[in-house]
Amino acid sequence: MDDLRLEHLDRDGALAEAIAALHGHTRTDLLRGAVAGSAALLAVCAAPARAAARDRDVAILNFALTLEELQAAFYTEVERNKVLRGDLREQATVVGGHERAHVRAFREVLGSRAAKRPRFDFGGATEGSGAFRRTAVAFEDLAVAAYKGQAPRIRSREYLASALAIHSVEARHAAWIRRLAGKSPVTGPFDDALTRRETSRIVARTQFISTTSTTRRSPRFTG
Amino acid sequence: MAAAAGAAACGGSEPTPRAAVGDLVGAVPAPPHPALPIGAPVALGRDRDSTRWAPLRRAVVARARPSPDAPSVSALAARTPEGTTNLVLVLARARDARGGLWIRARLPSRRAATGWLPRAALGGYRVVHTRLVVDRGRLRMTLLRRGRAVLRAPIAIGRAGTPTPAGSFYVRDRLTRFAGRAYGPIAFGTSAQSATLTDWPAGGFVGIHGTDQPELIPGRVSHGCIRLRNVDILRLVRLLPVGTPLQIT
Repeated sequence: MDDLRLEHLDRDGALAEAIAALHGHTRTDLLRGAVAGSAALLAVCAAPARAAARDRDVAILNFALTLEELQAAFYTEVERNKVLRGDLREQATVVGGHERAHVRAFREVLGSRAAKRPRFDFGGATEGSGAFRRTAVAFEDLAVAAYKGQAPRIRSREYLASALAIHSVEARHAAWIRRLAGKSPVTGPFDDALTRRETSRIVARTQFISTTSTTRRSPRFTG
Repeated sequence: MAAAAGAAACGGSEPTPRAAVGDLVGAVPAPPHPALPIGAPVALGRDRDSTRWAPLRRAVVARARPSPDAPSVSALAARTPEGTTNLVLVLARARDARGGLWIRARLPSRRAATGWLPRAALGGYRVVHTRLVVDRGRLRMTLLRRGRAVLRAPIAIGRAGTPTPAGSFYVRDRLTRFAGRAYGPIAFGTSAQSATLTDWPAGGFVGIHGTDQPELIPGRVSHGCIRLRNVDILRLVRLLPVGTPLQIT
């Protein structure tokens, strides 16, 4: 995680919002833990607990969707800018196709419960090969660590299977771009997950997700 | 498996490696089917009929060339007169002698249709696949998406003394839930400015909006704005994103 120098991320807090949703469901965990000792009470609460687990899975999927949207938008923009050549261009094209496929899959499964697509502002990160390479390493390392952090919290085995399938692809992306950046594809024998606190700290430093303002003022056109 | 069974029948107390592997395989359940239908990689679509725009991060001076030393062509505010984020259409990019990145942009300016802005003054790029064409001769508006017409509507435009300006412009903002009926339920701001109403309080920008006088459409009755029947502006609002290029012929 030493490569995470994302100095401009999450201007309007969309990522923070997704993380806050996960925090909110932690309270549900506590409630469930408190009633676990009473079989009768547990029976009464079984249905709400299942619903809470489903809700938490949806929150985790939406968190993953936001990260995938961020990555997909990043690779899409750099491809449109046509600033990459050779191996780097191939990496961006292939990985961009994967990230867009991930976004499509998450949106298909979440349906109407999918989080709204944020707006992005990558500043100069998509305007040149050097900035792209550094940011892509940070993005892929972030995605790998974030998936690892959330996977154990997923209740549905089917969602977990999907998350693991994506996680290993993100790890391959990370190894690929690290090699192109002249870094070792493997940083050690054991990878740490990214906790929510660590994710929040990174998010606080970032401004890649942005917003434009709206108004209810009356028009001042010529009429 | 047959060999392993034979070895066990001969009195061997230790299971053979093959028997152990077979037992393990039998004991391991099948993996769950992934819930996400992750299909083939999604290639980036062709950029034909697409336009990029970017919001302004701050007030900025547009230059005649991609250089901080080039003459100023226009000063842009960070906000529109309505208080929304100001934006420009992205046309080209270039680096100056010091390596700084510049964007050639279509501007909301009467003085200059285009100019060069430092990339750092702009926010993230957005993409639209729509184009709006206003035909002043036929008093009709056509919205195209990816080159195909998706909406046509009759319009009212400026009268002879306050004509709707011709040229290449863009949609700058969308206003809803404002007070007053003269503009109808929805109004879009554009980068077009009246050539005659130069002292208009907010700069004389041309809007696209509804009306409380639908009987005047089609016609040449406005101060330069493009008026639609309310039923048409309500259709348009579902189809027209901010940043859409506007061609007035």
